[in-house]
Order: sequence, then structure tokens, then C-alpha cells
Amino acid sequence: MSGHAGVHAGGRVAGGAPATRLSVNGRPVEVRAPGGRRLLDVLRVDLGLTGTKEGCGEGECGACAVILDGRAVNACLVPLCQAAGREVLTVEGLAVDGRLDALQSAMLAAGGVQCGICTPGLLVTARAFLDARASGQPVTDAGIREAIAGNLCRCTGYVRVVDAIRLAADGRTSPMAAPAATRDGPGPGWVPVGGVDTTIAGATTDTAEGGAALDADPDAVSPSTLDDALALLAAGGLRPLAGGTDVLVERMARTATDAGYLDLSRLPDLRGIDLEDGALVLGAATTFGELRRSPLVADVAPVLATMAAHVGAAQVQERATIGGNIATASPAGDSLPVLLALDAAIVVLGPRGERTVPAASFFPAYRRTALAPDELIISVRVPRVDGRTAVFRKVARRRAQAISVVSIAVAWQVDEGRWHDVRVALGAVAPTPIRTRATERVLEGGTPGEALAGRAADALAGEIAPIDDVRSTAAYRRAVAGRILHRIVVDAARR
Amino acid sequence: MAARRAPTVAVPVVETGSPPTRTGSAVGRPVLRRDGPAKVTGAARYTDDLAVPGAWHGVTVRSTEPHARLLGIDRDPAFDWSRVVVVTAADIPGENVVALMADDQPVLVSDEISHIAQPVALIAAPDRATAEAARAAISLRTEALPPVLDPLASERTIAAYEIVRGDVEAGLADADLIVEGTYRVGHQEHVYLEPQAMIAIPRPGGVEVHGSLQCPHYVHTALARALALEPESVVVVQEETGGGFGGKEEYPSGLAIHAALLALRVGRPVRMVYDRHEDIVATTKRHPAIITHRTGVTRAGDLVAQEIEVVMDAGAFTTLSPVVLSRGALHAGGPYRCRNVRIRARAMATNTQPSGAFRGFGAPQTEYAAEMQANRVADALGISPATLRRRWAYRQGDETPTGQVLATSVAAVDVLEMAVAASDFERACAGTVASAVREHAGARARGVGLALGWHGAGFTGSGESYLASVAGVELTAEGEIRVLAGSTEIGQGARTVFAQLAADALGVTVDEVAIAPADTSVVPNSGPTVASRSTMVVGGLVVRAALGLRREVEARTGRPFAEGYREDARTHGASRVDERFAGFPGITWDAERYRGDAYPCFSWSGAVAEVDVDLDTGEVHVVSVVQAVDGGRIVNPLLAAGQVEGGTLQAVGYATIEEMKVDGGRFVNDRLATYLVPTALDAPRIRALFVEEPFALVPHGAKGLGELPMDAPAAAVIAAIHDATGAWIHDLPATPERVLAAILEAERAAP
Repeated sequence: MSGHAGVHAGGRVAGGAPATRLSVNGRPVEVRAPGGRRLLDVLRVDLGLTGTKEGCGEGECGACAVILDGRAVNACLVPLCQAAGREVLTVEGLAVDGRLDALQSAMLAAGGVQCGICTPGLLVTARAFLDARASGQPVTDAGIREAIAGNLCRCTGYVRVVDAIRLAADGRTSPMAAPAATRDGPGPGWVPVGGVDTTIAGATTDTAEGGAALDADPDAVSPSTLDDALALLAAGGLRPLAGGTDVLVERMARTATDAGYLDLSRLPDLRGIDLEDGALVLGAATTFGELRRSPLVADVAPVLATMAAHVGAAQVQERATIGGNIATASPAGDSLPVLLALDAAIVVLGPRGERTVPAASFFPAYRRTALAPDELIISVRVPRVDGRTAVFRKVARRRAQAISVVSIAVAWQVDEGRWHDVRVALGAVAPTPIRTRATERVLEGGTPGEALAGRAADALAGEIAPIDDVRSTAAYRRAVAGRILHRIVVDAARR
Repeated sequence: MAARRAPTVAVPVVETGSPPTRTGSAVGRPVLRRDGPAKVTGAARYTDDLAVPGAWHGVTVRSTEPHARLLGIDRDPAFDWSRVVVVTAADIPGENVVALMADDQPVLVSDEISHIAQPVALIAAPDRATAEAARAAISLRTEALPPVLDPLASERTIAAYEIVRGDVEAGLADADLIVEGTYRVGHQEHVYLEPQAMIAIPRPGGVEVHGSLQCPHYVHTALARALALEPESVVVVQEETGGGFGGKEEYPSGLAIHAALLALRVGRPVRMVYDRHEDIVATTKRHPAIITHRTGVTRAGDLVAQEIEVVMDAGAFTTLSPVVLSRGALHAGGPYRCRNVRIRARAMATNTQPSGAFRGFGAPQTEYAAEMQANRVADALGISPATLRRRWAYRQGDETPTGQVLATSVAAVDVLEMAVAASDFERACAGTVASAVREHAGARARGVGLALGWHGAGFTGSGESYLASVAGVELTAEGEIRVLAGSTEIGQGARTVFAQLAADALGVTVDEVAIAPADTSVVPNSGPTVASRSTMVVGGLVVRAALGLRREVEARTGRPFAEGYREDARTHGASRVDERFAGFPGITWDAERYRGDAYPCFSWSGAVAEVDVDLDTGEVHVVSVVQAVDGGRIVNPLLAAGQVEGGTLQAVGYATIEEMKVDGGRFVNDRLATYLVPTALDAPRIRALFVEEPFALVPHGAKGLGELPMDAPAAAVIAAIHDATGAWIHDLPATPERVLAAILEAERAAP
């Protein structure tokens, strides 16, 4: 494979940038570049590994998917600092010793390739999906479709892509040798008349300065202790960055120009899911993928896993964190209504010490939080309540990789057929995620059924303040919020 | 509502492709895609993957108003302009036009701004950050002019047609029932996953461009005009292209001129690669349309009159609107025999982004409306949509509204029956009780819907004769067989299909045939890669050229080509046979009167969609689509199925979630986070089936295929929503907002 040419980036980039070491396709690589450079640019520009494609630059299309320490992620949303010391696998690394990966063979045999621009991202995403599967675990079409829902393909209708992944999963592919360069031009096999000779054949950068990067890349600092992190934060000028699925999108959209990132991914204190003092404690850097896989979450608050499955798609779930979702404080943030409904509390730490803020009072205004500029979110505490039922429903314009039009989380307990300790929280119907307390009062002590559902839906209409925006209308949000609450209450009666 | 039945489509057995085992047997077999290996290993190089040492980055300064007079381009004196190069309209050496059908679209605004995001100036810098900084340091001084944003309010007609057959007034007067309807469809964004990309390289006395594009010779012509260069001084090379769907038909011409202007000014290569946001904001979309029908039928269900008005929004410039409108008008009646027809169609100019080519090219819009009418007539008459179509559909010998007698290759009923049978449509229909859903007993309702489609293959009217495309096959002195065609591989499989066709004609294996690069200095002008014409028209030329080469070589060697060609190359040197398209015999078109054979033949499709509607929210999930198509003889079933499946999903997206919102001439949802296309979870199970009704006027019997699958599914989906909810959605897409409003309406109407 010619793709490995130039894997060592020695000295190409302007001096002064720190050296970052990582492993790419099983080979150690050292890159001198700002820590805020996108992994996508590092691969394509610095390392000349152009098999990874850029389709949108904001984590929506999956064309740049690579495998980072075993998980499929979008390379456009990973800053170099977070790839340091880690293993990156790109499409160029799939074929081993001249043999195509089973997925590559299957994609060819099943006809899953057309224009090919989404193919590398699909292949590595499918590879991560198959590798993460426990052996003997069956692979269903539905499972495959969910796994690749973050990889847009505009040519195939996904039919043959799904076929190919199933073929590979079932081991029904014939081994194929990695091909020599195609004889059909353009490409290495042809030199156009009057041609561009050697210039069009897998060099790395256009210019000695490394000019293809999006803008001037931010620097990044990756502290390993909370004390260091807080000191850096207090010094100012750095933006905290966890999974990057909001921060790097803002950079692409040019709604934010950050001089530097405070990388939170190396702080052990922000990681882990535990049970402490009757509460589920989620480290702020817990990803949605981890929420989905955690047996503890499944036991204590399975609604968190349900919610996590509706966040973006696989690549976003493996990067986006619960703390980041809280800090961004979007009124449509998927986790927020659930945290409100579960009476969760947010633990924050700053120079003045640690404090615990109820989720219900953490979001004072549109995209604002109770977090002071010198504080970090450390963890989320979800009280364990035996006998509590909680449901989550997200309405969006498509089934994956979509921002909520309306989301709702409802939690309750039942005593002799009547609901108590009812919580109703919604997203995307007000400037902040909200708890609708008047609606809760209507439901409190009630017996679920048509009558109660109708009264609750009516009450809800008076408590929400949706708007028209690019995703939907106020009228639709208002109508649907009531109807899905109605449905939840009626369905509860049938439980 | 109770579950009605098992899914219509079982999990398919995966049929995988394989190379043919003997010579002469490639056509009709699932030969593996030639460009596949490079694409699965990451070795395939697309334009932005090419590193060109010394290249600068080009960016575009765009208008921010829909209509204005440009008074000046102001540069912030605080910026160091010596670091960059700026090009404006005054710097264009040739004509300030992007040559296409009309010369109304400037390369850069010189005076009047006609739409938002129109290119006004170009900047190149050694790196992208500097170019972006310079762009931010430029401001446009303008004087606002009143914009025209509604095609119905526009007074500027880009094109208009009238097609008349019989007496529509008399037909409507005789009808027992007249069904009327108005249908609106909006902009659809291509979302090829590779954004527009172009690299221009100055050459002595000329320029060479490499880009992501469908039509190298369009780009070539446009470059020569705008740069005032001799044709031989311009070279256009198509690089691996990450999807087109029409979006890289005409648009790359302007981008190539931009990159070339900068490259010639800087004296270095210049790279222009759009990010997704710029790509959505600045490039063409499918034409929005407003289509109104009055359909007259007898009580027995006979179609007696169709009165149709089509208004398309052309946007600010002509681009391809006259031919998009023409195709839309010619297909507006649907694949149905009718004695009395009047179709009036016009494309109106507005101050919005120019509309352009997109898979189906006007037909998906008008066929959607025609199929809606057919389904609503069936509903009104209380007869099955399948029965109605059995009555209405064209048979061999029928005459279209332009007077074209459908003499051969008519398969409307065949695709209908195949789709109906494969989906068990009639049993599914019988199980439907639309009123049941209003009881609100269950949260979801399932429905099925049917639609037919037809698609004229190749260019409209005399287009193919006018193009006079050329394709060739050569035997190089080194003994290599090469197909020489200007048709491009954009994912549809042109390279593989051409190799199959040439291999069989020559009697060699597919692997012995190479495909020359789509480089204008190497390949002849085979016409654009559009209009479902590559396999049918250019493929026919490839077959004839290959047969010609075979005869020539066999005459010299006295042996079968396969055995003698290598030796012939050694002893005789290179040979090449070109074939030029010279019309299909017996096919005549009167462009003046708009009468005659609009297309040499038609392809046919029948689609059955099955949907789940969430009655609380109006969310629609398309569960399955069966689409049976006739594209003539199928050269490669694996690639053909891929075309049908992918086209079906684009149509499903068009029907359900793809909505470009426009506010004051500005595209509001200008990111992939807001302009949504279906993911793998949204995509239905899709089953592609083939009727193979060969077309006799090409040697290999193939008809057009690529666009056809876009035509029927949208109406099938809307019919399925009606089946599930009792509500007719008229305007696309069937957003949850529209569907819920219709459900609420139905709930209010119910007791």
C-alpha cells in the first residue's frame, strides 16, 4: 500500500509546535503540530493518509471516521491532543499483509461501493462494530443499520452496504488480495498529456507551511490532575474541551474562535461510573457510548442508556460526554430532560471548592449554566430510587444523527395504582430544558389513563414556550409535546 | 390498528458479483466494479486528495443580498493585500459568462447582484487561513434592489412550452368526475458526499484543471470562452468524483473558471475546495415546482382529459432550466394514455440560487403530481390504484401527447404487475382501514402506496443528434485495449459497463480492457454524463467502435481478435476506431412545433412503498419500497440494482425529510445538521426488480436507468401515508408538521 508513504511527519510543520506521538495503522508516528489541529488534518495533510475523507467537517456524515482505541470516531471532531499516545486505524490500515479485510472484500462482492467517498468511513465504522461484538453474538440488519447510522451514503440506499457487513460478519467472504493500482485513469496508472507528472501522486502537503488546515490551529493543554486543570482554567484563555462534538463544530461553523483548548480527556477524576451513597455517579467525561454499555446504568437508571442511544450516532456517542452535554446547555441537549426527571445533581469544582447543584437549577437561561468561568463539571449524581419508572422519548426529523424537535422524560413511582413523585421534563420547548411542575402536580396522585393523560397534556400546553426555528414550528412542538405525554400516561396505564 | 401482515420483503439473499469466466460473456453478469478495489483501500484519489506542490488556496467572496447593484468592492486598508491576489470581473480576459445554454450567468458579478451567494470576487493566498482573513477584510458596497422571490410573481420567463393533444375542454366537459389538485415541491440538495473541488494549474499559454465533475467537455468549453483561450490550450481532467447526481453537471464550469482565473493571475496552481456549508449555500438545487392538475375521468374509470400547468422556479439564471422544464412537461401526464391533454409549462426567473440538474431533471417533480392525481382518482372512484393503472397505462402502439407512437419497448404494465406481485400490494390494500387510525387506539398505523414512472432515455428531442457524441476504442502500440469516452465515472459504474460492452464486442475478457482517463486531451467528446444516456447512447458507440476495431484487426490478422490483437499491435502499430452518433433511425422531433418523438424510447418503473406513521407525532418511517424497473437489457445487474436502490432512497428522502427552507432568497438549513438526508436507520428495505424489455436501436439493447428510480417512489410514499391515515399530503416533503396537521384535521372531521 502506497498510503503509508510519508507517515513520519518529521519537521514539516513550522517550528515550536510540540511533538505528539501516536500510533497510526500500527506504526508509531510523531507529529509536530498544535494540539488543537483536527486529527483529520493530521492524517490527510501531515501524514498524507488521504483515504480518510472530509464530507462536512462537523461530525454529521461519518466520511472521516477512523478507529481510535477501538472505537469509531469522526476524525474531524478529534483534536490531535486527544489522539496522543493512542492507536488510530484508518482505511489504509485495514488490509494486512496484502490481504483485504473481510469487510473490504465483502463491500466489493456485494456491490456496496459506488462513488466511494463514504466507503472508507463506512468500512472503519463497520470494523469497529464487528470488533466490539462479543463472539457468537448475532449480527442483525437492525444492529448493522444502527452501527452505521452516522455514516451518510448518498449513492447506495445502504442496501448493499448492509449486505456486505452481514457477509463479513458471517465470515462468508472469499479472501482477496489487495489490488495493484487500477489501470483505469486518473491516478497513478496514467500520466495525463501535458500532465501533472509526479505532482499528483500522494505527496503530502501543498506548501512547506502545511497550508491545508482549516484556520490557524488552536493550541491545547492536557492536564492530568484536577489541580492543574483548575489552575489552567483560572489563568484564562483556554476553552474546556471534553469530547469535542460541540466545541469543534463551533469552530467549523466559525461561531467560535478559540485560542486554545483545555483538554479534559486525561483527567482520571472525570471518568468512571460508580455507585456511591445510594447514587449513581457518572464522571463528567463519561461518554454516551459508555452509558449505553454500563451494567450499573442498566440497573439503576436504564433510561439514561435509552437516551444515550438517541444521541447522534455511533461516532458521536463514543466522543460526546455527559458533562459536555450539560456544559453546552442546549435547550435540545438530549441528556438534560432525563437528568431533570431523575432529580440528578451536578457536582462542580473550582477554586472555592466543590459544590453540588440540582440539575433543576443548573440551567438559568438560554445556553447558560450555573457553572462559574473558573469551575469544571466533575460528575453527575443520579439518586437511586427503587421502584421508579422513567421513560424518554425524542421526536426528531430522522431516526439517528438528529437534534431533538421535542424531547420528554417522565419519571414516576406507583403506589396502589396512583402515581407519585412525578417528574416531567422537556427539551427544545423553551429557552432551557425545563421541568413542568404544574403538569407534574396534575399527575401527582393520579391514576394513569385517558382522563389523566388529557388533563396532563392540557396543563403541559400552558407551561411550555416553544419557538419556530430551522427544525420545526412552535405549533408543532406544542401539539406534539402534549401528545407524546398523553401517550406515555396512557401506555403507563397498560403496564 | 392491528398488524396487518408480515413484511412484504424478506431478508434478501445477498447475490455477490464475480468476474466472468469466459470471453464474450461479460454483458448481463454482475462484474465487479473496476474502481472498487482502490475505493475500499483508500487508494482512490479524489480532487482534494491530490497534493500539488506550491498550490495556493482560492476562496470566493459572495453576495449577501438577493438583488442589488454592486457599487464597489472595498478592501480593508488594515489588511496586507500584498500577501494575496484578488480577482474581480474586470480581470476576466474573455467573456464574463459561464457558457451553457444562455450567456446570462456571469463568472463574477460586474454590476447587478442577482442572488445570494453569487460570486463577486476571488482571493488566492499561500494558505487557507490567509485567504479566509482576506475574505473577511473585503466588504461589498451595494444598493439594494427589490427582489423577486416567488416564481408565480415573476415576470421573467426563462422558458415556456405548450403540449396539446385533442380537445381538453371538451374532454373535461364529457368527464363524469374531475379531480383537481395543486402540488408544490421545493429545492432538493444533492448532498454528494464530496463537496465541489477544483485545482487549476497554469500551463504555457493555457491552463489545466483537475476536478470533481461530470462533464469535462462542458468545463472545457466554458474555460475557453471565459479565459479567451484556444480550445487546445485548455485541458480538463476529471478526478475520482464523490457523487454528482446532476450537481456536478453544470456547476463545476464556473468553479473551474474561478480556479483558473486565480491560477493564471498567481502564476501557480490554485486549489478551490468548498466546505459543506459553502457547497450547500452556493450550488444548484433541484427546481422547485408548483403543478396544478385537472383530471377528467368517466365513472368507469377511463382517463378522458388532463389539464396540467407546471411552474418551475429557475432561480436567477437560465442554467439548464429550458431542458429541465421540457423534460418535466413531457413527463407531466404520467405514463398514461389520454385523448385530450393540455400541458402548459413555464420556468420563471427569481432572485434565488439558480436551480440546476438533479437526477430526473424535472421529471420527478411533474411525475409526482401525475401519480398523486392517479391515486386520488382511484380513491375518489373507489377502485384499486393498481386496477386504475392497468386501465390507463401505455401499451405498445399508444400515442403520447406530442404524437409519439410508442412503437417498441413499452413495459409500463410489466413493471406495474411485477411491483404489485412482489409487494403483495393488492392484499395489503385490502387490509387497510384508514378510519381505524382515528380512534387513536394505537400510536402507529401502517399503509401501502403505489406509483408508476416513466423516463425518456437520453437527451430530449433532437438533443442527441445535435450533440453528435463520439466514443472510440483503440489498440495501443503496446497492445493495450482502451475505451476512449468523455463519459465520466461518478459512482454509477460507467467504467465497468464500458469495459463489459467493449470486451464482449471484441471477444476478450473484461480485464483486458482499460478505460482511458476522462481527460479532454485524451478522450473525445462523448457528450455530458447526464440524462441516463451513458450506457444507452455512449455504450452503443463503444460497442460499434469495438466491433469496428475487431473487424479491422481481424481483417489484418485473419484470426479472431482475441488471439491476434497483441501481435497486430506489434506489427501494425496502434489502431483506433471512433464512432459518432448519427441519430436513431425513424426517430424524429420537431422542436419548433414540439411534436414527434420526444425520446428514442422510454424506461418504466413501478414502486410500492410501505410506511409506518406515528399518529401522535406525524413521523413517517418508510418501511419498505419495492421498485420494478425496465431499463432495457441490463449490462450489469449488480450496478443496476445499486442505481435503483440509491435512486429510490433519494426519492424517499425527497418525499419525507429533505426540505430546503428558503427565507428572503437565503437557504436557511445550510449544514448537514439541518438539511437532513436519510441515514441507514431511516432507509427502508429496498428491493430492486428488473423487467428487461430491450431497445432495438442500440446494439446492446440497454435503455436509460440512472434517473428513473427517482420518479415514482415519492408519490408511492404519499399514497401509503394516505392509506395509513386517510389524509392526503399534497406538498413535499411530508414533514411530521404536515402529516400531523392532516391527522388533526382528520380527527376534527371525525365524530
